[in-house]
Amino acid sequence: MSDFPITGCYYYPNSSQHQQCSAIVTDDNLQLVDAQQQLLVSSSLVNCQLESPLPGIASAISFSEGGRFVPQDIHFRWPFAPDKQRLTERLEKNKALILLSIILTPLLLWFILYRGIPAIAVYSVSLASPNTVENMGEQVLTVIEKVALEPTKLSEDQQSALQLQWQTMLKQLNLDTAKFRLSFYKSDYLSANAFALPHGRVVVTDELVKLLNDKPDALRAILLHEIGHVEYHHGIRLTAQAAASSIVLAVIFGDLEGITEVVLGSGSSFLQQAFSRDMEREADQYAIEKLIALGYSNHDFADAIEALQTRFNEQAKLDDSWLEYLSTHPSSQERIDYARQYKPK
Amino acid sequence: MEPTTHSAESPIATNPTIFQGRVQFSGQAGEFFGIWIVNILLSILTLGIYSAWAKVRTYRYFYGNTQIDGHSFDYLATPIQILKGRILAVVVFVIYSLVVQLLPLIGLLFALGFLLAMPWIINQGLRFNMRMTRHRNVRFAFSGNYGDAFVNFVLLPIASVFTLYLLLPYALKRMDQYLHENISYGNKAINVNLKGETYYMAALITIGVAIAGLVIFGIFVGISGVAMSVGNVDPGNLNVSTILFPVLIMALYIAFLTLLSAVYQSIIRNHIFNSSEFDDVASFKSDLKAADYAILLFTNALAIIFSLGMAYPWAKIRRARLLAKATEVTIYSGALAIIDTAQQEQSSFAEEAANVFDIDISLT
Repeated sequence: MSDFPITGCYYYPNSSQHQQCSAIVTDDNLQLVDAQQQLLVSSSLVNCQLESPLPGIASAISFSEGGRFVPQDIHFRWPFAPDKQRLTERLEKNKALILLSIILTPLLLWFILYRGIPAIAVYSVSLASPNTVENMGEQVLTVIEKVALEPTKLSEDQQSALQLQWQTMLKQLNLDTAKFRLSFYKSDYLSANAFALPHGRVVVTDELVKLLNDKPDALRAILLHEIGHVEYHHGIRLTAQAAASSIVLAVIFGDLEGITEVVLGSGSSFLQQAFSRDMEREADQYAIEKLIALGYSNHDFADAIEALQTRFNEQAKLDDSWLEYLSTHPSSQERIDYARQYKPK
Repeated sequence: MEPTTHSAESPIATNPTIFQGRVQFSGQAGEFFGIWIVNILLSILTLGIYSAWAKVRTYRYFYGNTQIDGHSFDYLATPIQILKGRILAVVVFVIYSLVVQLLPLIGLLFALGFLLAMPWIINQGLRFNMRMTRHRNVRFAFSGNYGDAFVNFVLLPIASVFTLYLLLPYALKRMDQYLHENISYGNKAINVNLKGETYYMAALITIGVAIAGLVIFGIFVGISGVAMSVGNVDPGNLNVSTILFPVLIMALYIAFLTLLSAVYQSIIRNHIFNSSEFDDVASFKSDLKAADYAILLFTNALAIIFSLGMAYPWAKIRRARLLAKATEVTIYSGALAIIDTAQQEQSSFAEEAANVFDIDISLT
């Protein structure tokens, strides 16, 4: 205890008044004396309260009467502080642990956000009643309908022919015909496109049907790709992952100023896009495998992507929507090559 | 960085100045980095529970390193208070998401309920944060009421939408006035006298900078767009320019936004500090320069992006340092006779829960 006396500042109870003084610890007693050796406070150590020590912050001591003593030396630590209380500070100053955290934190976050949370989400949806999942899916469709879809302009004949093909394909693949449903919509906004909702509804735009009019097997490839999204629960995994990462980022980066928020928001959406590219690849693979299983060719899938890409290239001259498309999907050439060179296992 | 000399001159003879100087911020990026990264690891390993402890330690670090006249601020909230608030927020959020998904109509009612509850939540959160802030053993307090908060945070913003946002600067002024004029330091209430014209001027200057920026931005995009359509014939093939172009656009976008927010925020921050005073206790002066602040925000954003988030502690520390340096406080002799009045009142669970929404008046 050669450190003592410790100089610092005593703050009177509930008041802005303060006094420079020194602290002396004897056995189980703490005394504060001012420059004139006047006794300011005398308290037994059991009645003193210590805050959990924090690197770079003076270790203040509070007395039961409400007064406080703050040592001048920010590195000073009370020798009678329980070891347990000093543990956190030791961890925060431990170079090896800091280094380990730098490596472990991204790995653990990646594992939790990209594996753990999506798996839990898929599992909890599997626990929910089919009715709930169905209702949620249909509600999402209603919203998309309002925003981006118009009733289909395809002829009744064409629709029923495509529906018949769809039903046959589902039966061949042993898929639930009540779950997987095909709908047609006209959409200026989505243009030639298709998407699947988690409960099994697959939506195809008139524009896509027209684009692949003379390539029915290519359309089939796209439908299989969408079924792949549903079978792998991509929608649920993506939603859960997005929600979880925004919460995690908010906790890690705490109170962000507006601009950093923009930056991190785009950072997390970059991650999101990487995740969604992986899903596209997974759905591509599903589609190609099933095409081959059904006796069609992996080239049908390549044809479909090629047709879409040609159309995007034409549109790219009008606007830059392709930039967005490129970021959420693997590059078309990569997908086409993958499909062309696909070797069934 | 040393405080300027204890000024001898006093504005009023009966009220001598006992200190005049800049706010000191002594946090170190390296030191805070250790606290930050270890706390994140502990939070992950405890599935988020430790994040409440992490928040308290971060706040204590920043408050404890912010000093006026050698006396630091203290953050008093306990991790359990923060944890309780976070648990409640998660429960409310889960219920809300389920209701919105399953019963959209009731979800709409929820949104309306939230609008009505918002003024109350704002008040509770401010009350909590002020009470958890202490300087020289005296706590701050916040005393706003529901009616005023409703007018300032619900009615005026809605009204400003219907006036083509012409009322918006006035609404922002009213919000800031409300947020600050209800603060007290112990038994001493603050005096805040914000002026609407400063808010309109800040808005006009920001819009002016925005227009100038957009013109330059437009010229840049035009030039590079032409360059690209010449250089890049096959858009299906990702080459260097297709990757570089969005990155450049992104950097310009960030620079543009940081500049705008720095211009507006520095004008408003200076105005708020220069118009606030605890009579006979303390007055404030802020001389934050928009250019300095814009450069800081922009380099912070770039550092965070290119370090994949690891520069966050450094960014946070240097921002706090710049803001502290831009703030001058004058303390008068009345500061020695302040009495903490918040002592008896216990903070309620509602306050702890509302704290989750992180309504904060930064003191640095």
